[in-house]
Amino acid sequence: MDIHSILLITHLIGVALGVGGATFAGILYLKAIKDGHIDPMEGEWLSVVFTVLRIGLVILVISGFGFFLEYRFTGQEERLIDPRLWAKMTIILALVFNAILIQMRKIPMWLGESLSITSWYGALALGIMQNADYSYFTFLIFYAIGVIIVIGILSVIKRLYLGKITS
Amino acid sequence: MTQSLSIFLSIHVFIGVTGIIASYATLIWLFKRNIPIRLLKISSLTAFIAYIATWLTGGYYYVLYYGGSVKPIIKSGPTPWAHSIIMEVKEHIFLFLPVLAFVILLVIWLKGNSLEKNKPLRNALALVVSITLLIAVLMALGGIVISGAVR
Repeated sequence: MDIHSILLITHLIGVALGVGGATFAGILYLKAIKDGHIDPMEGEWLSVVFTVLRIGLVILVISGFGFFLEYRFTGQEERLIDPRLWAKMTIILALVFNAILIQMRKIPMWLGESLSITSWYGALALGIMQNADYSYFTFLIFYAIGVIIVIGILSVIKRLYLGKITS
Repeated sequence: MTQSLSIFLSIHVFIGVTGIIASYATLIWLFKRNIPIRLLKISSLTAFIAYIATWLTGGYYYVLYYGGSVKPIIKSGPTPWAHSIIMEVKEHIFLFLPVLAFVILLVIWLKGNSLEKNKPLRNALALVVSITLLIAVLMALGGIVISGAVR
């Protein structure tokens, strides 16, 4: 197996853990707050999922830098200034700073949760859309629209599941 | 580029990323309800060692290869500012990182046990860690732009 395949598999594992972790964090959080408070067992499960999310993020970042080195060593330097790659990095940075703000309790949960889910699915989509030929700012506009849509969807799901409007 | 220089550049990049991850972990753990002092000591030490090692490997690569072989290509290419602005900024601002990481290391190792009760100290330390993390991330992004300018 060559280095590119190893990097690709590692990167995909990171994305899988991240996307799966973000999805399950949302589901478990919703189940946990249904009775109005998060009990110790629910808190423990959420903590495990957040740990998986962070492991996914670390794997994603390390394998991502592996790709940068591969591009540098194989004469594909122009790929390092690809708008799609910079949009993906911006989304990953948003994910990192969102996680810090959630930990510091400086961001409302509805926004932090939406940013986390949109960012992970956005990074996945950008990884798949190899031929997407848009400018950096177009990608970010799509991302911002995605965040707004996810805020709306999560708000509807919460209203239906919890039977009331929650923030 | 020789194989040994490729290895040096790879070590420079991965140790730098390790430093970023360690600084990120330090910041996250500072805001846990029960601050894990032992983990904070490990992450702050890892970040400090990583930034020193990144500095040394980056310097070695610059002196032996970048200055003579890569810099002229970038300066004659379509994005000469990648060297004249970004690399110059990287060379000078990077020097903050080992110093800031050492300050963080000292505070955690000497005053770690009082962080949970002393909120102003924890918040001040979190600010220093945030600045360190921000600089480290900008250095990494700068490195990607510089590599992308080698055309």
